[in-house]
Amino acid sequence: MTDLLYCARAVHFAATVLASGIVFFVVCVADPALRKAQRVAAVAVALRLRLAWMAWISLAFAALSGAIWLLLTASSMSGEPAADVLSQGVLWTVLAQTDFGNDWLARGALLCLLAAAFVFLLSARGAASAWLKAAALLMAAALVGSLAFAGHGIGDEGVAGIVHPTADILHLIAVAAWVGGLVPLALLLAMTKGDAEALAAARTATLRFSNLGIACVATILLTGIINSYYLVGSIPAFTETLYGQMLLVKIALFALMVGIAAWNWSRLTPQLAEASSPAVAQGARRALCRNAAIEAAIGALILAIVAVLGTLAPASHANHHAIEGSIPADASFQHIHTEFGMADVLIEPGHVGTASVTIHLLDDDLETLPARTVTLTLSPPGGTGPEIKRPALQNADSQWHVDGVAIPQPGNWMVTVDAVLQSDRRLKLAAPIVIDRK
Amino acid sequence: MKRILIASAFTALTVLTGAPAFAHAFLDHATPPVGGTVAAPPHELTLWFTQNLEPAFSTVQVTGPNGAGIAQGKARISGNTMHVAIKAASPGTYHVHWHALSVDTHTTQGNYEFHVGGR
Repeated sequence: MTDLLYCARAVHFAATVLASGIVFFVVCVADPALRKAQRVAAVAVALRLRLAWMAWISLAFAALSGAIWLLLTASSMSGEPAADVLSQGVLWTVLAQTDFGNDWLARGALLCLLAAAFVFLLSARGAASAWLKAAALLMAAALVGSLAFAGHGIGDEGVAGIVHPTADILHLIAVAAWVGGLVPLALLLAMTKGDAEALAAARTATLRFSNLGIACVATILLTGIINSYYLVGSIPAFTETLYGQMLLVKIALFALMVGIAAWNWSRLTPQLAEASSPAVAQGARRALCRNAAIEAAIGALILAIVAVLGTLAPASHANHHAIEGSIPADASFQHIHTEFGMADVLIEPGHVGTASVTIHLLDDDLETLPARTVTLTLSPPGGTGPEIKRPALQNADSQWHVDGVAIPQPGNWMVTVDAVLQSDRRLKLAAPIVIDRK
Repeated sequence: MKRILIASAFTALTVLTGAPAFAHAFLDHATPPVGGTVAAPPHELTLWFTQNLEPAFSTVQVTGPNGAGIAQGKARISGNTMHVAIKAASPGTYHVHWHALSVDTHTTQGNYEFHVGGR
């Protein structure tokens, strides 16, 4: 994964969340709040104009970053360098003939439709039609929810195959509505600094946004727990894996955002309603505006973490990438899969000379298979030479190691892993493995 | 508020028909079996993988005992299974090199042998 891919993902998440958040905000908060006060019509028009700029720029960034993400992924899928992906027709094959490409076509279409909706939604008068508003909400939800298919939410078997993606999609929509709505909220609060009418509109908007925010935070919390159950799976996995540690940082930042939101809700919003003391109300408005901006900045930080997190192997045993994800370029790797268990065998370096062998035993649920002893046998190609037979030693991460293995010749060796399991059952796994010349 | 919840539920329902697998696709088993011996030369190889594959970018090469490529046409892929017809060749050691792209965009590859006839 290159730094460019991380940047493209982070920008794409932020731009998508903001664009979708603006739709949710305009339909659910701004239009209802500003419609009530006739005399703030000028503020409403000015706000929509600013939001329109924001929305168009977000969509442009989403399109550009999405294109880069697509290009880099098509390159890794096809094995062609990024420059050739365009010229060799690979990109069209990816778009038309793969699930990933199909998803990206659908999202591209959604982006265009949402741009068209913005023309009406964020015009000076705003949109009157309830149908247009409902359609815009649906498209915004689909645009941000479909990001679930670019992540780890999909592909589980059974009940998890339904529950996990649903939780992921709802998680994304709730994030867009809350975090994405913070920027328009800050803008609205900054622009309603005039008279009592403007202040009343600010208060209505803040109350509406608070209700929306509470529902979103509850959804984020619940769906976040469900996702963590599938992707992390255990308490130790939180602290012992990079994935779990990054997730803990994300959760801490989320808690910080919720803390600030709670402060806004319990202290500042009531002050905003202080009709008797305009100074207090104005002070509360300014403080709320500043806090919303701070929360939005923290939200952006969380999205940056998610951009990297989505590329890491999830921490739970059921999502096994452990050795495979970090295979060095010069190592030889073989995965031996039988109905009784499997083994990942890594020979490093994978050429003639002295090597270290790492063996990871797994059961059918991709959990580490505990064993009493493990013996490694390497048989030379075509039986030309003596077998290498060595006992393996287990280390703290429950993988088995054999060091100092002298491999005298290149070719198709046969690796055999002979394990005596806890139940005294014997598991024997064998497969060819390629050793290169020096 | 209500509109958001309805939209969310509707979206979730409509996109749930979506994509299957996840993770890397490893070779689960094959016929003729990995490292195994068969009496007569096979006309077709079948490889089963641990995840669903993308047909557009998953391939297999088969070489016969004399080192020549013997795969006939492109591999036929459906779900997690890959079939390839091969030209019958003499007894000996056959080499298979597979390259798989799982539907979640990760590539894997591997190779194995099987034997035909007496050794």
